[in-house]
Amino acid sequence: MNRQTMVLIGSGVVFATMLFLMNASNSTQRNRGLSDQAQEPLVVFCAASNRAVLELIRLQYENEFSRPIQIQYGASQTLLSNIEVSGTGDLYLPADDSFVELGLAKGLLSEVFPLATMNGVVAVRRGNPKNIQSFSDLLRPEIRLVQASPDAAAIGKRTKIVLTEKKLWDRVEAATIAFRTTIVDVANDMVVHAADAGIVYDAVLKSYPDLESVQMPELHGIVSKVSLAVVTGSKQPQAALHFARYVAAKDRGLVHYAEQGFQITRGDVWSDQPELSIFAGSMLRPAIEETLIAFEKREGVRVTRVYNGCGVLVAQMKAGQHPDAYFACDSEFMSQVPDLFPKPVDVSMNELVILVQKGNPHDINSLRDLTKKGLRVGVGHEKQCAMGWLTQNTLRQGGLQTEVMENVTVQSPTGDMLVNQMRAGALDAAVAYLSNAAGSAEHLDAIPIVGLSCSLATQPFAVAEGSHNTQLAERLFKKICSAESKETFEAEGFRWRDPMPQGKQSVP
Amino acid sequence: MIELRNVTIRSGAFVRKGINLTVPKGEYAVLMGATGRGKTTILESICGLRQVQAGQILIHGRDVTDWNPGDREIGYVPQDLALFPTLSVQEHLEFALRLRKESRAAIAARTRELSRELGIEHLLKRSIIGLSGGESQRVALGRALSFKPTVLLLDEPLSALDEATRNEMHKLLRQVKESLGVTTLHVTHSEAESESLANRCLWLTEDGIQERPAQSRHY
Amino acid sequence: MQDRKSPVTIPPSPKENWVPRRRSDTLFFLVMSGISSCFVLLIILLLVADIMFTTPRNFYDALSKPEIRAAMRLTVLSCTAAALLSVWVGTPLGYLLSRYSFRGRWIVDTLVDIPIVLPPLVLGLSLLILFHQPIFGLQLESTFRDSFGIPIAYSWRAVVLAQFAVACAFSVRTMRVTFDQMNPRAEEVARTLGCTRGQAFLQIALPQARRGIITAFTIAWARALGEFGPILVFAGTTRMRTEVLSTSVFLELSTGNLDAAVAVSLMMVFLAVAVLLVLRIFGAGLNT
Repeated sequence: MNRQTMVLIGSGVVFATMLFLMNASNSTQRNRGLSDQAQEPLVVFCAASNRAVLELIRLQYENEFSRPIQIQYGASQTLLSNIEVSGTGDLYLPADDSFVELGLAKGLLSEVFPLATMNGVVAVRRGNPKNIQSFSDLLRPEIRLVQASPDAAAIGKRTKIVLTEKKLWDRVEAATIAFRTTIVDVANDMVVHAADAGIVYDAVLKSYPDLESVQMPELHGIVSKVSLAVVTGSKQPQAALHFARYVAAKDRGLVHYAEQGFQITRGDVWSDQPELSIFAGSMLRPAIEETLIAFEKREGVRVTRVYNGCGVLVAQMKAGQHPDAYFACDSEFMSQVPDLFPKPVDVSMNELVILVQKGNPHDINSLRDLTKKGLRVGVGHEKQCAMGWLTQNTLRQGGLQTEVMENVTVQSPTGDMLVNQMRAGALDAAVAYLSNAAGSAEHLDAIPIVGLSCSLATQPFAVAEGSHNTQLAERLFKKICSAESKETFEAEGFRWRDPMPQGKQSVP
Repeated sequence: MIELRNVTIRSGAFVRKGINLTVPKGEYAVLMGATGRGKTTILESICGLRQVQAGQILIHGRDVTDWNPGDREIGYVPQDLALFPTLSVQEHLEFALRLRKESRAAIAARTRELSRELGIEHLLKRSIIGLSGGESQRVALGRALSFKPTVLLLDEPLSALDEATRNEMHKLLRQVKESLGVTTLHVTHSEAESESLANRCLWLTEDGIQERPAQSRHY
Repeated sequence: MQDRKSPVTIPPSPKENWVPRRRSDTLFFLVMSGISSCFVLLIILLLVADIMFTTPRNFYDALSKPEIRAAMRLTVLSCTAAALLSVWVGTPLGYLLSRYSFRGRWIVDTLVDIPIVLPPLVLGLSLLILFHQPIFGLQLESTFRDSFGIPIAYSWRAVVLAQFAVACAFSVRTMRVTFDQMNPRAEEVARTLGCTRGQAFLQIALPQARRGIITAFTIAWARALGEFGPILVFAGTTRMRTEVLSTSVFLELSTGNLDAAVAVSLMMVFLAVAVLLVLRIFGAGLNT
């Protein structure tokens, strides 16, 4: 009858109106300031504790670049589970980097941007009404101490570890009246007067004007790192990395972090499209070039590479050229520039071999055979490249230096040149790297040099001390240490040194 | 006419087989038997509100066994009357005709005629909540008769009434019987009713439905 | 027939030795109201504590934040939409469960009750998985997003869906009870008068179910308002987009803004009370 149908239609109209209104507010969000569909929003999963600071950064970023950033707030573990289940999301910013490690182990996260550290302190109400000054004050019977649970919260875990080492945990545990699930619950307890003291991170206190911190040396070592990670499955890695670089830049995002009471790491200087310069020994070119190209594409940066003999590179650096990173052919040529690169890491090893024409027509089986009369031998230039220097050391070690050098017709700065000359027929043999041989296996054979330790070269990588792009360079380093890169190295004849076990990151 | 041929009805765990019943056209039949024997179930089956397991139901020679209740043109007054709580008396009388999309004038005329016949003209605008037992009965009867059904089924129409009202209703039913001549099946456990109204007396026993002469007494 | 038995001793006529015993009902009322008032008192104390913790300034500040305003708007719209949807779906389902016994009815019955007993977080997680796991090679979320241009997860639609999933279970229960208490005979008579089953439902059953529908709507609305876990997991908490008042409280709480959290909580209380009153009046008005 009429009444019923009217009610049905009426409720249908109301329902449709609701949907329309909700959709309308949605699209105004989307249409505001967007011209083309390339401006897909970036989705950031962020722990609630970072909300205040990330909102400030987001505002600034959206003003500068008009790419919308959509931030989902929640609890760190829940957000990580979301990423795992839904396979969506571009960036992840948890409360503590233990979650980043978890995500890395699961393969959910790729690049990591360390942002800041937080230190554990004791929080008390403003004015310190219970006069808690030292560690023993915490243990006073009338002081109600709360902590975050060592099972549920990262700060709880760290507190327990640190204090157990100092043999203080049992007493503190006995004095704790309650273990709360999250660090925020601990702070809230003090605000509502349910507790007198609590162990929290200093940065959290910024949002609690009613609380103040008390430093205690016993808590030294309770440290947490705040890091921003890129989701592996992100559909816009370049955009995600652009924003991540912005957040981690010392003159952009980190400024806000510092204001909010975090202890910031040393960040890169902001640049919309940064340029990274790397000096590398030429023998490394086939091993790293692909990695560099992929890195450029993913990060949206430019990498300027200079390949040359390491001696030449060192000379350039001493003359004043300062690259952001240096990948040397041998440790000897890294140790010549210690002020620029104080912390090199060994990545791979390469060995010298004797290159001969295919089929080994001159029947060369050892270094000694290079002394055969009339042989035209090529070696690397001692001063110009590590290869040359190593060759001389090896010959000396074998007691053959003078004799072999008599047959040397060419001393070139790189192994590639020797290979070219061999292929052109201008040389009968050359002493070069195994990696050089790997590249021309159809035309040349490689004879191993046995028993001489000097013939082994170790390639170290280092990030420049004074670089503006240390974090970017560190990320490049991580890419070079990745499994795909390792495969490339090994295919080119290098031996891998496993410089970075999976999952660890370093904060400069 | 109403005819049941070898009908089997299941009601819960209770199965009754081989029911045969005939009410010739225009006759007023009374169906009696002790309470709980299944008389209501038989009425429900004739209406189409309950599926029969086997057998045939015929109304005026047509096999309606598989028909929807609404297509059988049967007027049904259940024991608890089941009036529509949200409708007025007038709307009750108009209900069936509105469904059949009769014209407004036809509906108004029929309602007037019916309400006059049943003596409920003064109640037309009232809601059915608060009507007395007798008044409710009349409304239920009017609702069932409004579309001039070919068959009328009454389930214990007088049981819940007090003596005075019962007599009134008795008179009304006789009046309806005489003026409309609808084939009626009236279920009751009272012999007095059968005496005054029935052309035909049917008894439901263990062995099925038997016809007894109208005036006989049964101990 | 009358038996002659020995005369039964009849007590003396009451009026001669009647000592009036007047018993008071006061104890009954005292005990009953004592127990009831404890609970009412608890509720009042909770509200008072909240009100005293925040100041009018805080309340006004919270109210003027655009994110809170947007959350409020979305809350009202989504709860109403979810409640309407719940009643639309719950009424037919409740009717079916009430009127028809079919094989496997108990299974449907149990299934429909699952959202009520399921922990809300589990419901949210299940929704998230449902939309992202490939089912027969099809992933719900990407199908909706790419083929129809309608993203579901992390949008307002997810909010409504999460609210609906729980609210509907309550609405089905309520409507089922409503129809259970309704005399099915009336619908049967309507059918004999010429109604199809559908007409009988619309014209006879539904009007009688008015009050039940209002109740179902109220319960569904209240449940949707309080929904928090599934929204957090399935819809996310993007401010200005999928933030509703319940998740606002959580966010403010987890960043240490207790004042704002309490202010928003009180706002929810007032909102809920306002809606309840409106529905009460509406329901009462329908009874004339």
